[in-house]
Formats: sequence, structure tokens, C-alpha cells
Amino acid sequence: MVGITIMLVGFYGLMSKKDPIKIVLSINIVSVGLVLFFVGTGCIKEAKAPIMPRKSVVDPLPAALMLTTLVVDVAITALALTIILRMRRRMT
Amino acid sequence: MISLLVSIPMLFAFMLVLVDILAKSQRIKTKLVPAIYLLGSFLPWLVLWTSCKNMPVDEVVGNWTRMGGIEIALDNYNFYFILGALVLFSMVSIYSFGHFREGKAYSVILLMEAGVLGAFISRDLFNYYIYMEIASVCAFILTALSEEKGAKKAAFRYLVFSLTASYLFIFALGIIYLKTGYLNLNLIKGSANSKEINVAIGIAFSALILKAGIFPLHFWLPDAHSKASTPASALLSGVVVKVPIYGMLLLFYAFPIGEMMRKALFTVSFLSIFSGLLGALLQINAKRLLAYSTVSQLGYVLLGLSTGSIYGAIYYSFAHMLFKGGLFLGVGSLTDAQSTKDLRELSYRGNRSIMIAVLLLSLALSGVSPFITAYSKKLIMGDITGSGLFLLYAATIGTMLYAIKLNYLLSEPGRNGSAKAPSSLILALLTLLLGIYMNPSMNPADWGLLVLASGIFILLRKFKVLEEIPRFEQVREFGRELNIYMVTFFLFVLAMMLIQRLQ
Repeated sequence: MVGITIMLVGFYGLMSKKDPIKIVLSINIVSVGLVLFFVGTGCIKEAKAPIMPRKSVVDPLPAALMLTTLVVDVAITALALTIILRMRRRMT
Repeated sequence: MISLLVSIPMLFAFMLVLVDILAKSQRIKTKLVPAIYLLGSFLPWLVLWTSCKNMPVDEVVGNWTRMGGIEIALDNYNFYFILGALVLFSMVSIYSFGHFREGKAYSVILLMEAGVLGAFISRDLFNYYIYMEIASVCAFILTALSEEKGAKKAAFRYLVFSLTASYLFIFALGIIYLKTGYLNLNLIKGSANSKEINVAIGIAFSALILKAGIFPLHFWLPDAHSKASTPASALLSGVVVKVPIYGMLLLFYAFPIGEMMRKALFTVSFLSIFSGLLGALLQINAKRLLAYSTVSQLGYVLLGLSTGSIYGAIYYSFAHMLFKGGLFLGVGSLTDAQSTKDLRELSYRGNRSIMIAVLLLSLALSGVSPFITAYSKKLIMGDITGSGLFLLYAATIGTMLYAIKLNYLLSEPGRNGSAKAPSSLILALLTLLLGIYMNPSMNPADWGLLVLASGIFILLRKFKVLEEIPRFEQVREFGRELNIYMVTFFLFVLAMMLIQRLQ
């Protein structure tokens, strides 16, 4: 639930902010919310971390998938900021 | 075995970057870089050749069980997507020889090839998303590399919207995973349907529609596709927008899609066909005309999906890959050589092979009978009756109109300049030969429609309807514009969710 709320905050930013850098930041907020939501889907009550073989563990797959998404996110943020820099250079 | 399709271009992309940075003398560099580039883009043909003999192939990478591994496949659903992508990438690699100054641009193209092929072979939703992301990141980079004014802005807009759509898509995947426990399509297929999954499918569809650039969400497409450099825009318009189409195909494959959703997609596809058409008719910028035509043509593909003629949609996207890639390469080589994009100044008079190529490809675009487009169009139109069919004939005439406009304006004398012809000529011949191979019969009605369209074109020229091009100058601030489009996107997502919730 918290994840979805954070995503909505990010969407609000996307719809209301004009500055390109703020738009990129809003996208990052969306992605953070998404990661939280996704990790939350693997939750099982009173389960432990899936490190050593235990009786009941949480689902490790969402966390593993989110690792990939985070990497994509970092790379794209860097790319977006580079493009913004180039845009500014052209304007001035 | 078919996972090699992805790993070969990826490996060569990394090798290319290494050689580009580490090679000391300029001479080694100029010899090695093109060699690696060509190897990377042509070797996947070998893999496809060996593995298409025993189609359908279905395997899980690393021999894991289906529940734990990533499933990939090569069968009737995706064979034509892969074939089209390989043909276009080979042609573009021949064309782009010496086009970019930096060696890194070539490695981006190779990475894009890896991403596209990876998305086309995957049968696992998350794996599909990752490869689609690789392909679209490469698309952002290629758009931003262009020197043209406004290309950076176009790339930024493309990036923001595409990224937001991807996050919504993963959100939908999260809901699907929460409810079914799988991301593998064959395992999802058997699981029970629920309301949450329906809503998730609505979100996923709207995200994919944005990424494919279909009408209400097409605002990023004309700028990005027309401002990228020539080989890049051929790839963007030919292959990259087909990746989300394949995603929709996967959704249709795994989930039962309700009646209301089909109707909504049907309406959206008609809107897309006609708005793309109008956009294309009003353009005098050659590349923008082709970009708007992509919006219109993708409407046809979505139409095929929504009426259930899946193979029609597959063949149509295959045909669109070939002819739109060819048109972009042909017209783009003219714009590069004559350094203008204004159709009134461009001319293919001085260059006979480009003339033949563009003429053939325009015939393919308008769906005239022996070409491959005619066959797929027939499959798509097969299920439609009544007013829909009438509208479709109108759309065909409209398509012919802008194809005629393109050729008419290009055939008038204009600037001169030598252009590179072979790639687009090969693609033009391929559309003709494959069309004859698939459907040898001729349909005289198509030629009748073509004559009718020429008549309308002459009339329109007489009354000078297409002469005065209305100019919608964008006076709004760049950031504000993004906000407004974003609101449109979210409204669309909400509408799709509601439609799915109601049924």
C-alpha cells in the first residue's frame, strides 16, 4: 500500500512540475514506490529472510527482479540527466 | 540454442566498445570496428538458420524447471518478427557504414539488436520487459545522438514517457505475480481469472499502447522518429515500435481478453488509423510524413489483434518492418544527400535506383495486390463487416493519397545529390517477392482503388487543399507540454482500468 502511495506522489510530480530535472526526480520517486510494492508482493507473515534453508521464508523472486529494475533505473537517470545537460548547452 | 540470437550481438557490442577505446593506432581501429560490427549483425542469421529447421522450439534457459527458469521459444508467433528484425538490422548495418563518426554508435545499434531479439524470443513477462527496456534505452541514445535542432528535446520527451509507461507495465506485472504466482506465460495461462488481473491487463495494455505510439498516446513519436538520424529512424520506426506489439500479442496469448476491452481496442485502432492519416496528409516534412504514417499503420496492427486475426497482425507488422524501414532508408538517404527535409525541394529525379525503390515501397505501403501488405491486410479485413469495412476502404484510399503525395512531390525537379540506394532497393524487392511467395493471386480491386485515389489527389491539387499547410506552432513551454501529455496518459490509463473493472 505504501508503495502505491509513493507511486501516486511521483505521478503527481510528473503532472505538475515543469522543470525537466524535477520530472526526472518524479520518475525516480515512482520507481522507488514500485520497488516497495514489488518487494511487498513476496511477503509472507512471520517468514524469515531466505538466506539459509529455513522452514518458512519470504518469496525471494520479487527482490531479485527489483534488483534488475533498480539497475535499469540508475542507468536511465544518468542518461536523462545527460540529455538535459546537452539540451541546456544548446539553449545558452 | 536460440538464446545465442541474443548473446551474439551483445558480445560483439561489448567487444566493439573495448576495441574502440583500447586500440592505439587509428588504422587498426578503422579496420576492426566495421568488421566486428558486421559480424555482430550478421551472425544471428546462422543461429536462425540452424534452429528454424526444427520449429517450434521451446526451451528454458539453463535447463531449469519451468517454474524457476526463463522460457524462450521460436514458433509461428514470433518467427516473422525475428525474421523482419534481422532483415532490417542487416540492411541498416550495410547502410550505416561510415555514417556515424564515433564507434560507440555502432555498439548501441548492436545492443539494440540484442534487446529486440531478446524481447521477441521471450515467453516470460519480466524477461520481455528487461529486453524491451534495453531496446528502448538504445533508442533514446540514438535519437539524442542526432545533430539536428530539437533532437535532444525529442529524445527527452521520448525517454520520460517511455519510462513512465514501463513502470506502469511492471506495476501491472507485480499485480499479476501477486495473484497468479508466476511470470511464465504458459503457467499463467492455466490460472484462474480475477478482477485484479483484469485491471492489471488494462494498465499493461495502456502502457504498451504508449510505447507503440498508437493514437491518443502518440505525441512523442513524430518528433523522435523524424529527428533521429536516418539509420536510427529506420530502426525506431521499423523494429522498436514492434516490440510493444509483440507484448500485446503475449498478453492475448496468456489471458482471456473480455469483449469490452476488445471493443475499446477496436475503437482506438480506428482513431489511430485516421489521425495518423490526417497527420501524414498535412506534412511537407518528408520524415515527419513517414512518422505519422507509422502511427496510422500501427493502428492496422492493433485492429488485427483486437478482432482476433492474430496472424493478420503478425504478417502486417512483418510487412511494416520491411517497407517502413526501406522507406526511411530511401527517403532518408535523399534528405542526407540534399540536406533538406522539405518535400517541395527534395527530388529523386537524379537517382534512378532510389526512384524505383521508393515507388515500389509506396505501392507496398498502400497495400496493392502482389505486395506482402495486401495479403496481411486481407487477413485483417476478413473478420470485419458493415461500416467498419467501409471505413477501412476509406482508410486505404487515404493511405494511397499520402503515398501518391510523397511520390508526386519527390518526382518534381529539385535539388541534386548522390544518395546511397542499395539497402532500400533490396528491401523494396523483398516486399514484392515475399508478397508473391505468400499470395500469388492478383486482386484488381486494389488497382481500381489506386486509380480512384489518384483521381481524388488530382482533384485535391486542383482545389489546392493540400497546398496550404496549417501550422500548429507550439508556443507552450516545454515542461508544461510534458505535464499536459502526462495528464492525457493517466486519463487513458484510468479509462482502460475502468473498462476492465466493469466487465
